[in-house]
Amino acid sequence: MTYAVSEIRSVGKPHRKRLSHVAIEPWLYLSPAIILLVVVLLVPLVIGISYSFRKFSAFKSEYVGLGQYQAMLSDQVLGQALVNTLWWTVASLFFQFFLGLGLALLLDKPFRGRKLVQALVFLPWAVPSFLSGLTWAWLFNPIIGPLPHWLFALGLKAEPTNVLSDPSTAMWGPIVANVWFGIPFFAITLLAALKSIPSELHEAAAIDGASPWQRFTKVTLPFLAPTIAITVMLRTIWIATFADLIFVMTEGGPAGSTNTVPVYIYVSAFKSLDKGYASAVAVLLLVLLIAYAIALIGIRRTLVRHV
Amino acid sequence: MASVTLEKVRKDYGAVRVLHAVDLEIADGEFVVLVGPSGCGKSTLLRMIAGLEEASGGEIRIGERLVNDVAPKDRDIAMVFQSYALYPHMDVSKNMGFSLLLKKAEKTTIDARVDGAAKRLGLDTLLQRLPRQLSGGQRQRVAMGRAIVRDPKVFLFDEPLSNLDAKLRVHMRAEIKALHQQLKTTSVYVTHDQIEAMTMADRIVVMHDGLIQQVGAPLDLYDRPANMFVAGFIGSPGMNFLPATVRKGGASEAVLADGQALLLPEGLPLKGGDAITVGLRPEHIRLADDGALKGEVVVVEPLGLSTQFYVKLASQQLCVFAMGRAGVKPGDVVRLAADPASLHLFDPKSGDRIG
Ligand SMILES: Nc1ncnc2c1ncn2[C@@H]1O[C@H](COP(=O)(O)OP(=O)(O)O)[C@@H](O)[C@H]1O
Ligand SMILES: [Mg+2]
Repeated sequence: MTYAVSEIRSVGKPHRKRLSHVAIEPWLYLSPAIILLVVVLLVPLVIGISYSFRKFSAFKSEYVGLGQYQAMLSDQVLGQALVNTLWWTVASLFFQFFLGLGLALLLDKPFRGRKLVQALVFLPWAVPSFLSGLTWAWLFNPIIGPLPHWLFALGLKAEPTNVLSDPSTAMWGPIVANVWFGIPFFAITLLAALKSIPSELHEAAAIDGASPWQRFTKVTLPFLAPTIAITVMLRTIWIATFADLIFVMTEGGPAGSTNTVPVYIYVSAFKSLDKGYASAVAVLLLVLLIAYAIALIGIRRTLVRHV
Repeated sequence: MASVTLEKVRKDYGAVRVLHAVDLEIADGEFVVLVGPSGCGKSTLLRMIAGLEEASGGEIRIGERLVNDVAPKDRDIAMVFQSYALYPHMDVSKNMGFSLLLKKAEKTTIDARVDGAAKRLGLDTLLQRLPRQLSGGQRQRVAMGRAIVRDPKVFLFDEPLSNLDAKLRVHMRAEIKALHQQLKTTSVYVTHDQIEAMTMADRIVVMHDGLIQQVGAPLDLYDRPANMFVAGFIGSPGMNFLPATVRKGGASEAVLADGQALLLPEGLPLKGGDAITVGLRPEHIRLADDGALKGEVVVVEPLGLSTQFYVKLASQQLCVFAMGRAGVKPGDVVRLAADPASLHLFDPKSGDRIG
C-alpha cells in the first residue's frame, strides 16, 4: 500500500505543476474584480471584527480578547435591545408585507386611474428616511400633529398625548413610519412577480373549476413564493439594521423602550465612544442575521422553480 | 357530449368590432377547425365558447343550454392552450387531476381517471415529473391529458401544436385525430395552418377579418371555394389568380393581360367584356405541346416526389405542380394547358365565386 501511494505521488507531481500554470491563469483575469471586492467588502469587515477584540479609550486601544463578548452576556440593555429589535422587525415586516401584497394585488387589476395610484404608492420610497422620520415625529406630536387628536376622537386613546413619549407605545411610532416607508418595496417587487404569471394559467384554473381564492392559493402564491422568500429575507435584514427612523423619532427612548440593536451600536460608538463594544454588538447582529439568511435560503431552495 | 350553437355572436373591444355576427352550428361529436390568418378572431371566438371572453352580442349554446352568462367551470368544456398552461409547481398527475380535486372527487376516482388518461397518452412513466422536466411534446400531451380527465362535453383547442417542431406536429396531428375517433367528443380546434385544418377537420370554418368566409368539408372548400380569400388560403402551393376579360365567340374565352386566351367552361352568367379573375390550381395546369398558354420557365423546385416550377406569363408568375420530374429547366419556353372544368372564376370586385 505504501508502495502504491508513493508511486501515485511521483506520477502526480509533474502533472500537478503543469496544471497549476493553467489553474492560475483565470485568477489573473479575475484579479481586478477580486482585489476590488476584498478592498471594498472584506477589509472593512475584518477591521470591524478586529475592533471587537479591543478596548478603546481616549488615545489608545488594547487587546482584550473575548472580553467585550463576555461583557455582552451580562448587559441587560443589550438583552432589551435584542427583544426590541425582534419586535420592531417582525411588526414592521408583517405590516409592510401584507399591505404591500394587498396593494400589488389591487394594482394588478385594471381600473381607472391605476397609473396615478401606482405613482402615488411608490412615492414614500423617494422620500429620504431622515425626512420621513421627522415628519412622522411631528404627526405624532399633539401640539403640531393631528394624529393624537384623531386617535383620541376614535376612542383609541384616553387623552391626546404623544405615543412616542409613552414607553409602552413608543415603538409603534417608528413602526408606523417604517411600514409607510417600506410598503412600496413589497408592492413593486410583488407586482412585478404577479405580472410575470401567464394569464393563461389563471384561465386554465378557472376552467378547471378553481374559485378566486383557490386561484390565489394554488396558482398565484406558488408563483410568488420564491420572490416572497427573497424579498422577506432582504427586507428583514434591512429593517433589523435600520436605525435612521428610530433615531430621528425617539433616539431609542423613552427609557430604552425603542432602543434596538443598531441604535445601541450607534450610541455605544459615537456617544459613549466605546468603539470596541459597539463592534462586538455589531458582530453579534451580523451572526444572527447570517444564521437567519441561511435558514431562509434553505427554505427557498425547496420552493418552485418555474419553467 | 353536446352540440355547440353560435347565433349572431359579436365581439367588440371598445369601438373595434373584431367579430361580426358569427353564426355557426357544430354538431354533436363533430371535429370542427376554425382556420384563418393571424388576428382574424379565431381565438376570440373560441374563448367566448369557453367563457373566458364575454360576448358583446348574440347567443352561445352548448347543447340546449344558453351559456352566455355561465362561468367557464360550469360550461363543461376543457381547453388546451397554445402555451399548454400547465401548473409549474404540480407534477403531471396533479396537473391532470386538478379539476377533479377541485370537484372534491374521491382520491381513488381521481387516480383511476388520471391513470386511464396517462395510459392513453403514453404518459404513465412521467406522472411524478414536473412540467419543466418534460419535453415540448410531452407537455403537449399532459395538456391533452388534463382535458381528457375532465371528460367534458366539448374540447376546445387553441393552436395546440404551434409550439412543436414540424415533425412532432405531424405526429401529434394524427394522434389528436385518432383520439377524437375513440372519444367522439365534440371538438373545436383553432389553427392558422390550413394543412392542419385539411387533415384533421370533419368541417372547416374559414375566417377572415372577424367574418366567416365559408364553412364546409375540407375537400368541398378545396373544390368549390366561395371566394378568392378561401381559394387562396386553402391549398398549398396556393391557387394562381390571373386577371382577364371575357370574350364571347363560338365559345367564351378569358383573355389575359398579354392577349393569350383560355377556354372557359360553358353555361356561366358572363357577358363579353366582363372583367373576371381566373383561379387555377397549380396541379390543374399541365405541360402540353398544343397548350393555349405560352411562357418562360423562371424557377424550378424539385421535391423528388413532385416538382413545382414557375412560368412567367402575362407579367405574372404562374405556379405549376407536376408529379415526378417535370423535365424543364429555367429559360425553357413551354406551352401549358388547363381543362376548362378545373377553372375557378371570381368577380374581381367582390372576390366572390362566379357559378
Ligand atoms: N384584449 C383585447 N383588446 C383589444 N383587442 C384585442 C384583444 N384581444 C384580441 N384583440 C384583437 O382582436 C382581434 C382578434 O384576435 P384573436 O382572436 O386573438 O385572433 P387570432 O386568434 O385569430 O389570431 C385582433 O385584431 C386582436 O388585435
Ligand atoms: Mg390566436
